[in-house]
Amino acid sequence: MKLPRFNFWGLFWGTLALLYFFVPMYGTLDFSLRMQKGLISLRAYQIVLADPQFVESFLYSVTMGVITVIVSILIFMPTTYWIYLKLPKLRPLVEIITILPFIIPVIVYVFGLIRTFSRPPFLLTLSPLGTDFLIAGGYVILSMPYMFRAIDVGMRAIDVRTLTEASQSLGGNWLQTLVNVILPNLRVALLSGSLITFATVIGELILADFLFRPAFGPYMTSIGTTKAYEPAALTIMSFALTWICLGIIQLISRGDTSQQLTGR
Amino acid sequence: MSFLTLTHVNKFFGDAPAVEDFNLSAEQGEFVSFLGPSGCGKTTTLRMIAGFELPTSGTITIAGQDLTYVPPNKRNVGMVFQSYALFPNMTIADNIGYGLKVAGKNHLEINERVDEMLNLIHLENFRERYPYQLSGGQQQRVALVRALAIRPQILLLDEPLSALDAKIRVELRQEIRRIQQQLGITTIYVTHDQEEALSLSDRIVVMSQGRMEQVGTPSEIYSYPETEFVARFVGQINLLPVDVINPPEGLVKVGRQSVRTSRALNRADGGHTIRLAIRPEELNPGFLEGANNLTGTVQSITYLGSIIRVRVDIEGQPISMDMFNERKLKMPVVGDQFPVNFDADACWLI
Repeated sequence: MKLPRFNFWGLFWGTLALLYFFVPMYGTLDFSLRMQKGLISLRAYQIVLADPQFVESFLYSVTMGVITVIVSILIFMPTTYWIYLKLPKLRPLVEIITILPFIIPVIVYVFGLIRTFSRPPFLLTLSPLGTDFLIAGGYVILSMPYMFRAIDVGMRAIDVRTLTEASQSLGGNWLQTLVNVILPNLRVALLSGSLITFATVIGELILADFLFRPAFGPYMTSIGTTKAYEPAALTIMSFALTWICLGIIQLISRGDTSQQLTGR
Repeated sequence: MSFLTLTHVNKFFGDAPAVEDFNLSAEQGEFVSFLGPSGCGKTTTLRMIAGFELPTSGTITIAGQDLTYVPPNKRNVGMVFQSYALFPNMTIADNIGYGLKVAGKNHLEINERVDEMLNLIHLENFRERYPYQLSGGQQQRVALVRALAIRPQILLLDEPLSALDAKIRVELRQEIRRIQQQLGITTIYVTHDQEEALSLSDRIVVMSQGRMEQVGTPSEIYSYPETEFVARFVGQINLLPVDVINPPEGLVKVGRQSVRTSRALNRADGGHTIRLAIRPEELNPGFLEGANNLTGTVQSITYLGSIIRVRVDIEGQPISMDMFNERKLKMPVVGDQFPVNFDADACWLI
């Protein structure tokens, strides 16, 4: 039997990467627990959780996150499906469009939104509800790369075209095919896209800040400029939220991979 | 009146023709295979019957009803795909019952039909399993009865055995034929495997470059190919350039050696070079009085299990002869002068 070779450099760089990631996080965690002099306590966490502004901003961002996820799925799922089936030549163009949020700075995008939707005929920024519509739309655009890619990868894993044709040959119409065959097989992909989108919305700062909405991102920033221990506690809580999301993706996708891949 | 009719069907992708002037009439319960190499248009034709592709021109009728532009889900045509295309999120029972479910049938009726279909393929114990828990052959059996569960007017099979290994392929093709005959369903079968087409079909449509080369029963296609393409594509064939000497008597020459065919030739061919076609299994070793005899040099001997293929050079023209691998067979030696003989009935001119 051949013994695996000891890879010194692999281990070295791996350890370095882990230290780079975990040391600052450990520092933040340690700092967040030292609000009371000489004591390790959860005081900073208690203060954050008791702050009505925290609850308001967190609930606002969670609501926005859920709305963004629903709108994103409703837009990108049928669009990607249609591109796979009917317009495969358009896929490279759509891929470029979906990465635009990575290329165009968010600040430029926010000013564009404000200029366009603060004057007739689209006066949205005058009311909180109008601004919420605008901000939800903005989040959909910002999370587009994640949602599109998640759905795209999911559709590649199953043979969308053949499954659709199989359903149609058995008498299924478009809606029956989408609901009974395609959606259930994209469950993991949609969940991944949704959770990444959700995490993006929860931490987003610029859009909410410039549109003056009480979101979680601006709240974290404002706390960071006036307090010491609470921002550290918030950072750890944000990390925890993101990791919980990733854990859920792992948990749900576990054991499903082989089932999805045999859909060909 | 024919059950399935394709009349002057053409399909172009842009300017490129995929199917040209395709005409076919299939009777109720008939098993027709589309046979040809990759890109010959056989799958495109099948997909037009299924409704997944629209013909550029021409009409497709099933049971007298024009279905040319009817969407696939309204045609009541069952289709089996090369990649099985079972729904991975559904159990075997749900897969088989899917067509009935979307048609709004009640649970009782669906369950009964699912049981009936599972009995047909002897997979009664796999009802609650998922597709990934089945072998390729079992998955394709399920795909077959899923297509049959909706009681389709026509069954379409698109290279259903290509992804399976050789042994399973033979078993499953016998099962397909058994089920097709049992249900008496009109079936169109696409394949590039001549053995599959010859063993399964009532009739075969040989296709090349989007055109129908020949339509006929397996024995017509094999024994009387009308074109060089069919002769070469279906089975092994020797094609020797010959000079036509005496057309009414069917007399031709391979090099300096005379051959008589049982069929009279066209007078216009006199003095021209055409091709003599003969299957390797029609050639016999040795000289035989009264038969056609050709003599050449043994070039190579290939062992093919039950068959030994001897390649003989006849005045610069290679010719293959198949002999059964019997224990008493006296093997020729490479470089030997070797006479072969064949009946005048066994050869024809293309």
